[in-house]
Amino acid sequence: MKTKDIFALIVAILFFSNTFAQDTTSLKKRSWYIPDYGKIQFAGNIGFFSLGIGYQFFNNHLYSELLYGYVPVSISKAKQIHTITIKNTFPVFTKQFNTIALSPITGFAASVETGNNSFVKLPDEYPEDYYCTNAFHFTLFIGAKVYMDFINEKIIKGADIYIEIGTVDAYLYYAIISEEVKISQILSTAIGVNLYF
Amino acid sequence: MKLKKANILLALLSIIIMLTSCDNVFEFSPYEANVKNANRNTTAKNLQLIKDIQVNSDTFKFAFVTDNHFHYNSLKTVIDDINRRNEILFVLFGGDITHQGLLKEYQIFHDILRNLHKPYLTVIGNHDYLSNGELVYKQMFGDYNYSFDFNNNKFVIFDDVVWESNKNPDFDWLSTQLYDNQLFNQVIVIAHIPPFSDPFDNDMEQKYKSIMQENNVQLSMHGHVHSYSFERVYDDSVSYLTVPDLKEPIYCIINVYNKSFDFELKEL
Repeated sequence: MKTKDIFALIVAILFFSNTFAQDTTSLKKRSWYIPDYGKIQFAGNIGFFSLGIGYQFFNNHLYSELLYGYVPVSISKAKQIHTITIKNTFPVFTKQFNTIALSPITGFAASVETGNNSFVKLPDEYPEDYYCTNAFHFTLFIGAKVYMDFINEKIIKGADIYIEIGTVDAYLYYAIISEEVKISQILSTAIGVNLYF
Repeated sequence: MKLKKANILLALLSIIIMLTSCDNVFEFSPYEANVKNANRNTTAKNLQLIKDIQVNSDTFKFAFVTDNHFHYNSLKTVIDDINRRNEILFVLFGGDITHQGLLKEYQIFHDILRNLHKPYLTVIGNHDYLSNGELVYKQMFGDYNYSFDFNNNKFVIFDDVVWESNKNPDFDWLSTQLYDNQLFNQVIVIAHIPPFSDPFDNDMEQKYKSIMQENNVQLSMHGHVHSYSFERVYDDSVSYLTVPDLKEPIYCIINVYNKSFDFELKEL
């Protein structure tokens, strides 16, 4: 009788732990290249809109994204602007309230753009070291995100809404070296959404 | 919990306050060329101001500042010094008013120049062509080539950027502008790149040189080389002046007389 009970208990534990394990593996053990979330951002010096995919690393301490940003002619007042960006966001800490989690965030992004009189490699007609490349820019930002868990949702499991205040490397450099460049002149805002698969 | 809510509210409030204090709430790319209405047509506005200046003698002074790039502290120092000197009537900028040709850099330049209490004009430099600088310049300032006369002297502002603009300087326009040189006491040309500098090939250099010579230009003023020189480079009647960049606060005051000129280099 007792052995039967113990056996039943072991089976039950195994069963539950197994289902629990299965549940987490179905979340965690996706192929490495399947992104954890999709992203859409408005503004932030990486496009009028930018779209892309993101991965969570180091136990959700780093969110890395690959984004394509687009600025239409009507906004740029120049040619279309196409920007490829790698963006890294670090949640400073996370405060949980039921199905909502709040995090202050900080991070940086590296962008490349060519085609608007910008170049990765100096064209042939120039003497050596005449210019540095002007195709790359780094942006830095701080902000906050709110995560909402969509309980029982199969496709989109949750979403972040975030807001950031940021600037571009060159602008920040100018503000640091000169008191004539005010912080208010170099800061701008971005807002966006992450959708978790 | 109440305290936490208050904290969150405070954080949100401070974000909103920060946002409203930003000059541009949203920015989409460093390569944007969307110039604010208030900052447009700067050249035309300043030409009108120069036209309104009353002079009662043949003699007057103007300042020449060039290649400020991102040396904004020096730029401000120079502007303050020019403001203190009532005898300087207007200021000419010799190009490279930006470093990467970015809208933000143009805006910073334009904002700092609000401190100048005199009219100013600019010529486009090679750096100003980078990124979408060509388009920004057109909107913020106006034409790349233009001319004006002041106190019976003619000033011709000439865009001679070659590589970055992907075009040759418009030498025909330059000749046409200088055609009526006999009507004026003196003729002064301002172009960013001196003809004896790298981007000019031999043909262009000869062309520029002969246009200056044939049209009795007294002074050809330049930046670009980041050093001082004053010479009759081609052994003719034309003097070529290059003025250093603003890495250190330095600029030039030109004294214009009836049929001659001289100048002083101001190191601040």
